[in-house]
Amino acid sequence: MKTNQKKAWLFLAPTIIFVTFFSIYPILRAFVMSFQSGSLINLSWSGLSNYQYLFKDPEFWLAIKNTALYALISVPIGLAISILLAWIIFSKVKHKSFFETTFFMPYVTSTIAIGIVFRYIFNGDYGLLNFVLRCLHLPAPIWIDDPSMSLTTIIIFGIWTSLAFNIVILMGALRNIDPNFYTVADMYGASGAEKFWRITMPELIPTLAFLLTMNIIGAFKVYTSVYALFNGQAGVGNSGTTAVFYIYNKFQIVGTPGVAMAATVVLFLIILFITFLQRKMMKKIGEN
Amino acid sequence: MGNDKFVEVKNLKKVYNNGHEAIKDVSFSVKKGDLVCLLGPSGCGKTTILNILAGLLSPTSGDILFDGKSVVKTAPKDRHIGYVFQNYSLYPHMSVLQNVMFPLVVGKNKKPKAEAKKIAEKYMKLAQISDLADQRPHNLSGGQQQRVAIARALVGEPKILLMDEPLSNLDARLRLKIREEIRSLVKEVGITTLFVTHDQEEALSIGDKIILFNDGVIQQDDLGQNFYLKPNNYFVANFVGNPVIDNFKVKKDDGKIKAKDFEINVDDLDQDRFKREIPDGDYILSVRPENILPDENGGLPVHVDDIELIGRERILKFEHDGKQARSLVDLEAPIKVGDDIKLKMRLDRIFLFTPDGERVY
Repeated sequence: MKTNQKKAWLFLAPTIIFVTFFSIYPILRAFVMSFQSGSLINLSWSGLSNYQYLFKDPEFWLAIKNTALYALISVPIGLAISILLAWIIFSKVKHKSFFETTFFMPYVTSTIAIGIVFRYIFNGDYGLLNFVLRCLHLPAPIWIDDPSMSLTTIIIFGIWTSLAFNIVILMGALRNIDPNFYTVADMYGASGAEKFWRITMPELIPTLAFLLTMNIIGAFKVYTSVYALFNGQAGVGNSGTTAVFYIYNKFQIVGTPGVAMAATVVLFLIILFITFLQRKMMKKIGEN
Repeated sequence: MGNDKFVEVKNLKKVYNNGHEAIKDVSFSVKKGDLVCLLGPSGCGKTTILNILAGLLSPTSGDILFDGKSVVKTAPKDRHIGYVFQNYSLYPHMSVLQNVMFPLVVGKNKKPKAEAKKIAEKYMKLAQISDLADQRPHNLSGGQQQRVAIARALVGEPKILLMDEPLSNLDARLRLKIREEIRSLVKEVGITTLFVTHDQEEALSIGDKIILFNDGVIQQDDLGQNFYLKPNNYFVANFVGNPVIDNFKVKKDDGKIKAKDFEINVDDLDQDRFKREIPDGDYILSVRPENILPDENGGLPVHVDDIELIGRERILKFEHDGKQARSLVDLEAPIKVGDDIKLKMRLDRIFLFTPDGERVY
């Protein structure tokens, strides 16, 4: 028994060491730093002052508001479009694997690279998007350089980038549904809509719960797309700032790691709370 | 049209896209209220026929009539059939009640929920699953899932019930129980049922009539006992029966049927059983193991190689002309492995087949 225990610890050691140093330690360190002020090499205890600063900073509240709006708008729309596209590819399109590969490509491409391409697409004067909009005689907004459009631009970009992963996972889930379920439904004359709502959707619920959790967490951590779209800024006059962008800014640019870490802790608690809420909600749906 | 041909299949043919000829000119009919078994080895086309009847596949040629009306061009949902799939295909996210109600609450003729529930409850009571109404399928045993599938197939009050190997997912003991339940249930409802199986015992025990298929062709369409007593051909004689029938290579010559170690005078045979005059030449003589028994005066000396106990009886195994053959004897018969004994066949129970399988005696 004793030797077995020792062996077990030996086998677990690499993981434990790795997780301790690269996950647990940074979390604890961030937590500790949120109560300290000064530069990284000269930190001193300052109690709750970082948090006090944070809650009085309008930019922080803008970042939280933007992040929340981004998550609440881009995730449901992104998921809905993903379901629609996955369903169409799955049920109507031949050569599924070709389209699946095509749709998955954005996922394996760096967000920075895509963001740069999108900066050109979104360009107010010679961008592809506005060219199309003008052809259709629709208003062509100044996507990148108008502060009031920053968040909208980020949301559109966010929805687009979320499709790849969602569609591939949903295609897998659709493929796992027993084709006989549809044969039975056909036998009793169920319409396409009835089949979708009574069979496909309920069968997708576990997958959707997973995607929703992943997407929400991802959305609250949105940063790269902002950085890429606005060329290292958070839009004109920081109008498109997000929680992680705020943290980055306070840490790297402004040089107040304590404030950045306090914001990190707050963001961590928000994500924790939302994930917890979501799990409760999904469990309820699963039971019905 | 009469009730004798409630389901009628005429010259049905099915060739799959890959050129495989699954069904070759099949015709049969089913009486109203009968339970008919479509029996045959794997790949004989029996499930293809069921799917064509259901409208899930369309035939290459031929016609299908339900109650005198051709349904070949009718959509599955308008054929008034219930279908029980081999793996049941119950919806895992629905309760038993919702599963059974499903056919009633979708499609053009959907019923109000309360009415659908009432009908569903009636059939759940018939299938003895009322107390499982709120359970999910994955919480049920195989037998219970089977009953839910049958209740769901019956709830739309179809005219014809199609079942595709419904017992193959159950263990042996449960299979015996459920097959009796299925028979009494469909008889109680009075529905015309086609039941696909590869298990002859299952077919013999529940079918009013059996249609035996092989290679996309009907081998015999008959009452169960006739498959034993009057097999149409060599395939039928060998497919039906357990232990399997004994086959001996024989030659007809000089008024005698001769094999290695024994011969039979043609005059000793029952002349009325000959299907036709048979010329001299090679034949196959087949006899069921229960009709070839140890006898002091037997004409076939054999050496017992092995004995297998099957409950009340024992199978003596011996070799004849390079092939294994069997004799079915009583449990208490005083014979041991290694004994040399003599066997005698009941001449009124033997069959003679031509080398290409036609039965001539």
